[in-house]
Amino acid sequence: MPADWDIWAVSDWVTKPGEWRNEVMEEGPEELSTGSRKRERKKRRQARETGFKCSALLCSEPRPRCCRWYHIVAMVVYAVLILNKAGGLIFQRDFNPGLQKLTSNDYLILAGTFHGVHAITSQISPTNETGASGLEVLESENFVMRCFQTLTGTKFLVFAEPRQPNLDVVVRRVYELYSDYVMKNPFYQIEMPIRSEGFERHLSAYIKPHQ
Amino acid sequence: MVVFSFFIFDRHCECIYLRQWLDATTPSPAQPLSRPVTASSAATNTTSAVEKPPAGNKLSMAEQAKLVFGVIFSLRNMVKKLCGPDDSFLCYRTGQYKLHYYETITSLRFVMLTDIRTENLKSSLHQIYVNLYVEYVVKNPLSPVEHPGGEGVNNEMFELGIDSFVRTIP
Repeated sequence: MPADWDIWAVSDWVTKPGEWRNEVMEEGPEELSTGSRKRERKKRRQARETGFKCSALLCSEPRPRCCRWYHIVAMVVYAVLILNKAGGLIFQRDFNPGLQKLTSNDYLILAGTFHGVHAITSQISPTNETGASGLEVLESENFVMRCFQTLTGTKFLVFAEPRQPNLDVVVRRVYELYSDYVMKNPFYQIEMPIRSEGFERHLSAYIKPHQ
Repeated sequence: MVVFSFFIFDRHCECIYLRQWLDATTPSPAQPLSRPVTASSAATNTTSAVEKPPAGNKLSMAEQAKLVFGVIFSLRNMVKKLCGPDDSFLCYRTGQYKLHYYETITSLRFVMLTDIRTENLKSSLHQIYVNLYVEYVVKNPLSPVEHPGGEGVNNEMFELGIDSFVRTIP
């Protein structure tokens, strides 16, 4: 499965009953043998009788009740880090075991290192395009990390299980929560560590139920 | 799939082989496409190949190799710190390119830069190590044990092998 596999595209094939019958049931691909076409029809009939299922991975809700965010099920996010534009760590939170426990000093070193590496990765771009972006997805044997840099230079890092789809959705949602509960907080000093109860609460409410 | 460049770093953190395939889309009037610049050939005529950056590239290849090494070294340490010593860094992707990494037990590091749609190339890099590096460099009786400045890696068989192998990567 590619890293930026789009789950929305897959769920699109469940359409209205009429369209389904016209396009798939009756015409059917020519190269299918009668046996496999019968089996296909049987599967579709069963699906119609039991109600349309959402086709997203591991989601067994009938289509009307399946909300957009419900698609992100069985997701394991290990940690979320936020770096300010100078490479300082302003937020770190573990959600699931999977990464090693580090001291706060180690996290600071890690954030600083990553900030430098991010700058260099945009330098060594072999293509001619201007405005090269830095590192976006980092993969290792045991985790995948998605980095999102805002226009102002703040970086959001989300660590998750390998082959986790939709991490870009997750990281953008974390950004939304950050803008709502951190940037709109009148007591927050910019570029300083985030100590906002509302942000933490909403972040864990977003990440926890999808596991 | 487009392969932009390929690097080998030895255990002394030195780039012992580097090779760049110029992208057909970049205008390159000065350099013929069929003649790649390697570290070894650059060492023999230092002025022309190393100091003049290839068309369209901001950095010379030697500088780029140093930066690539810095990046993979830091990321590798970062991954080992986060996930324990048995985890290994595989690849990263930016908006423009993807970097694949493979490290042998002897700390020989193979790095390949490709376009972003390529799947993970760890097995391909492992094949380069087993089928090309070991066959043509390690088993070559004339090749030294260490390869300062790329000495011994720049033999014809290895280069031809790399070239044909890269063309077969899907």
